[in-house]
Amino acid sequence: MAQKVICTFCGSVCDDVEFDVEEFKAKKFCKLGRSKFSKKERIKAPMVDGKEVSYEEATQKAAEILVNAKKPLLYGWASTVNEAIRLGVILTEKVRGVYDQCASVCHAPGTLAVIEEGLPGASLGAIKNRADLVIFWGSNPMEAHPRHPLRYSMSAKGLLISGRKDRKVVVVDVRKTKTAKKADVFVQIKPGYDYPIISALRALIKGEDIEVDEVGGVSKEQLKELAEMMKSAKYGVIFYGLGVTQSRGRDRNIENAVKLIQLLNRYTRFVIWPMRGHYNVVGSGEVPAWEVGYQYAIDFSRGYPRFSPAEFSANEVLQRKDCDAALVIAADPVAHFPKASVKHLKKIPVIQIDPFPNMTTLVADVVIPSAVYGLEAEGTAYRMDGIPLRVKKVIDTEYWSDEKILEELLKKVVELRGE
Amino acid sequence: MQMLVIKPKVDFVVTVEAEITPDLAEDLEKAKNFEVYYGKDKVKLKELFEITKEGDDKKLVLDGDFSKVKWIGCRMEDGEIVVKGNVGANCGAYMKGGKITIEGNADDWLGAEMSSGEIVVKGNVKNCVGCAYYGDMQGMKGGKITIEGNAINYIGEKMAGGEIEIKGNAGDFIGTEMTNGLIVIHGDCGFVGGDMKGGEIRIGGKFELMPTFKKSEEGFVGDVNVGGKGVVKTL
Amino acid sequence: MHHMLHIKNGIVIDTKNGIKAEKMDIFVKEGKIVEESEIDKSQCKVIDASNKLVVAGGVDMHAHIAGSKINTGRTMRPEEMRMVRQIANKFRASVGRVLLTSPAIGYEYAKMGYTTSFEAAQPPIGALHTHEELDAIPMVDKAALPVFGNWHFVFKYVAENDIEKLKTFIAWAIERTKGFGVKVVNPGGVEAWMYGGNCRSLDDEVPNFGVTPREIITSLIKATEELNLCHSVHLHCNNLGNPGNFETTIETMKLANGFSNDKRQVLHVTHVQFNAYAGSSWRDVGSGAAEIAKVVNGMDNVTIDMGAAIFGHATAMTGDAPFQFTLHKLLGARWSNKDSEVEGGAGIVPIMYLPKNPVHALQWAIGLELGLLVESDKVVLTTDFPNGGPFTEYPYVMAMLMSKKMREKELERVSPYVQKAANLPSIDAEKTLDEVMHMTRALSARVLGLENKGHLGVGADADISIYDFNPNEIDTSNDYEIINKAFRNALYTIKGGVIIVKEGQLVDEVWGTTYWVDATNKVDTEAIEEDLDKYFELYYSVEKEHYGVEEAWIKNPTRLVMG
Repeated sequence: MAQKVICTFCGSVCDDVEFDVEEFKAKKFCKLGRSKFSKKERIKAPMVDGKEVSYEEATQKAAEILVNAKKPLLYGWASTVNEAIRLGVILTEKVRGVYDQCASVCHAPGTLAVIEEGLPGASLGAIKNRADLVIFWGSNPMEAHPRHPLRYSMSAKGLLISGRKDRKVVVVDVRKTKTAKKADVFVQIKPGYDYPIISALRALIKGEDIEVDEVGGVSKEQLKELAEMMKSAKYGVIFYGLGVTQSRGRDRNIENAVKLIQLLNRYTRFVIWPMRGHYNVVGSGEVPAWEVGYQYAIDFSRGYPRFSPAEFSANEVLQRKDCDAALVIAADPVAHFPKASVKHLKKIPVIQIDPFPNMTTLVADVVIPSAVYGLEAEGTAYRMDGIPLRVKKVIDTEYWSDEKILEELLKKVVELRGE
Repeated sequence: MQMLVIKPKVDFVVTVEAEITPDLAEDLEKAKNFEVYYGKDKVKLKELFEITKEGDDKKLVLDGDFSKVKWIGCRMEDGEIVVKGNVGANCGAYMKGGKITIEGNADDWLGAEMSSGEIVVKGNVKNCVGCAYYGDMQGMKGGKITIEGNAINYIGEKMAGGEIEIKGNAGDFIGTEMTNGLIVIHGDCGFVGGDMKGGEIRIGGKFELMPTFKKSEEGFVGDVNVGGKGVVKTL
Repeated sequence: MHHMLHIKNGIVIDTKNGIKAEKMDIFVKEGKIVEESEIDKSQCKVIDASNKLVVAGGVDMHAHIAGSKINTGRTMRPEEMRMVRQIANKFRASVGRVLLTSPAIGYEYAKMGYTTSFEAAQPPIGALHTHEELDAIPMVDKAALPVFGNWHFVFKYVAENDIEKLKTFIAWAIERTKGFGVKVVNPGGVEAWMYGGNCRSLDDEVPNFGVTPREIITSLIKATEELNLCHSVHLHCNNLGNPGNFETTIETMKLANGFSNDKRQVLHVTHVQFNAYAGSSWRDVGSGAAEIAKVVNGMDNVTIDMGAAIFGHATAMTGDAPFQFTLHKLLGARWSNKDSEVEGGAGIVPIMYLPKNPVHALQWAIGLELGLLVESDKVVLTTDFPNGGPFTEYPYVMAMLMSKKMREKELERVSPYVQKAANLPSIDAEKTLDEVMHMTRALSARVLGLENKGHLGVGADADISIYDFNPNEIDTSNDYEIINKAFRNALYTIKGGVIIVKEGQLVDEVWGTTYWVDATNKVDTEAIEEDLDKYFELYYSVEKEHYGVEEAWIKNPTRLVMG
């Protein structure tokens, strides 16, 4: 019998999908979510230096590593639940280390833009109900968030919108993506020119003329059309992705886009929102924000939190050789980080907490396997728009949840520190 | 004439955060016992550095590789610091006076929110030169930063006064949201003048001005998006 | 942990029980205040409170302490979070200037001798986030108020004039959000904002629904009273922040006419300072506080809280999304906004109150005027944290209410505009210590319907604060510096019978309870099931079965069943 579950793969966090426990089969999921909710190779048991040990022994060793380090890096967090993240933040504070989460390599520029300008946004439900103009900027949901267009943005039906035909969909990107092919308008831009293009749009919307004929490969005519389209929408939205956050301009791209939205609200209603990748990357930023004041790149060396992406993002810390131990949870830096970062990671003691083996498992000195949230353990996650959902446990397991592992780690660290 | 000479005596495993200023030169014992952060541990300067006093000037000579030492010259008010090597992040932050000379390369956040004084870097610098820390409204307010080599991104953002001169090339975001002051870049750079309100930027090589500037006799005036009267011109 | 306490020889002020600065012993057992006979004096910890003020722990009935907009505020303002209050040791690190982290909120309230705080506006679909943050705040007891004024179900039932369904919906919603009562923010206005508009007057129609704020407020009061919830409708008025809005406020308050409740008000109007402006523009803006005070004093079923402005940094964060956009335009400041599906919205703008700025000085004056002119049994002391300013400045407000001398001194440093535009300079009234304790303890507890808070009678929760001065020897008119200082750092703060603060320093950490109201026994949710199903299917982006918060997810819930 299939029951409704909540997917724990991407930031769409679809909660209308189904899972049949007996058949171990995912229904209605997209192929990304289905890949997680299927039988996969698991890390079999906790290990220290390649030898199988008990959870108690593994967490004891891990605690020792963290307590003895001058500056441990605790990184990952985006694919686990808030209850675990909260313990992780408290643990990092206890061991006076550095807390960083996956956003530092994807959507952190958006967080910097929130600091610089704010975030004039909306929930996905508000967008499905009202948006008659949807712009995907540097984002390709048909590939990265497959059910997003159906549930929330392109063809979603809502209060004022009866379906795809009530909506204009625009894609702004450097190449004609799968999503661009489904859009009404595709604006192709020269890679890295988002910032000046947005500046030009702001001027045109204000009614100012610009003294150039094209910006970033887009003609003034096309820019004027886009500006007009935005101004005449009843409720518009820009969804942006890694195309703008991880290309030239980064946080300034988003900051400029926010200024564009601020301006548009003087003419009509417009919002902007990031297409977050991991199912709880939002939580991995929100939890430390309420616990210690910041979302990522947080150092606790002095016994209080300090925020500095240039100094405390995981890659900066690793490339500056500024950590002497690392705990990696729900992430795979060895696979995704630049060579220079991985080089240092290989030299220091590494603790990994994850349900599935990955490249980082190969370099980890202590490996602690955990339960899969959404399937084997329950907890709170925040969808890409910050809406909280309680992901479910539908299968029993011997694996400890991240929450339980971190609870144990924290306990042992407190003991070792003699508190 | 040399004064307090500080040499690293160990290879730093993690960064050291040392808010040292020329004030230390006055008293050798005080300098030796000055507390700095080495990872999570508070240690005395003498545990990580050899410190000798050679004269009475208010001057620190940092002799060696200080690339893993941060916050040097933070809030300094007078005197001189010479780094005979590379230096770490936040060097000269909140500087109020005096002079810092870095013979090697400098790191991110050089001269952040500086209000007076002088910083000279013989080598290259990384990102965020003379900028404002996140959430603060103003960056550099006075003083001068000279980079003999190249810089990367974010130069003089939210600048409210003072001067930045880069003899080599720079990256993107020169003078973003600047209200006053002067930025000179002799080489090439990238995006210039976004949301500029006032002040002046002079560039010797190639650059990419924001499309929201208007041509005038002085050069280009903008950013129109903020009703700005900043001037961008060729050197 | 002490199971029994004997607080000896303290000078007690307990306005609920008629105790006015009398020497009295207080006995505590297992977290409650008990009769002397219940205590085994040999097993007791004795606190010598001789010549010291002993009162119930403070009750903050309106503050923004938990939830997504508070957290976005923190995220937006690293410059606020850079102030370090406490390095991590036995307790958590504590940082924040006006905005605070969750641990800091709990610690700072505790140091001030406040033991209960309510999150004033919870976005219903985000209720779980609000509860996660409440659960991260140590020390205090807490709750959250879900917002109803722009919820489509409410519009529907008001339009259909179906009070029965409205009641059913309210009970369902409060249970699902594990909330405490009916909060209303700019009713209709936030829905209008979805179209770029607002509802500034009580008779502006909500787009596509045809209902008016007048109808929404009246219906919600009716439904709340018929449900007999422990807390009344809690209202952030329409037209907030606009010169001349005091008239809207008065008209709104009159909507309470015809309703009555034995135990409490039927309408609580919040942070009235922001809704007490006279004049027609920012150039001739003045104080409408006297007019409002007259109306409130003449009604017996309306209460207010001040929403006082404090000079210094602040952050405007409310569910009044259109107002926040207006503020952003006015100040050119950073701006965050969150439109929520069919439930409302929110906005955040960093602000600052400068004494020399004529408008800010006026706002500062108006907050105090409300505290002075409105009868002490009808006005609660708040700063609408962080909109008016930090809650850590309540002692400043307390001292100002009690001392004309202090006010005169302050008036010297503020904009002279206040002399002609405000009433404050001509107000001689000084509230007494009894009255100020009432406005921060017994009254706020009564307004919320919390019977065991805000007083020291037998049966009350053992939330007790002891301050370092003798109420019988202090001259609150002149000794304002002592008052301002003493209330910042309690000599003792006791929470549920545990001493958590001594001489303004934390000595122990406890975790409070989260109150929520269960009125579902009074309704049959079947009646609205079809509507709920339909709306969830058509207008929501989450499944109905995944909507809401289960009690098991809250650390330490206390369910208050409505009788």
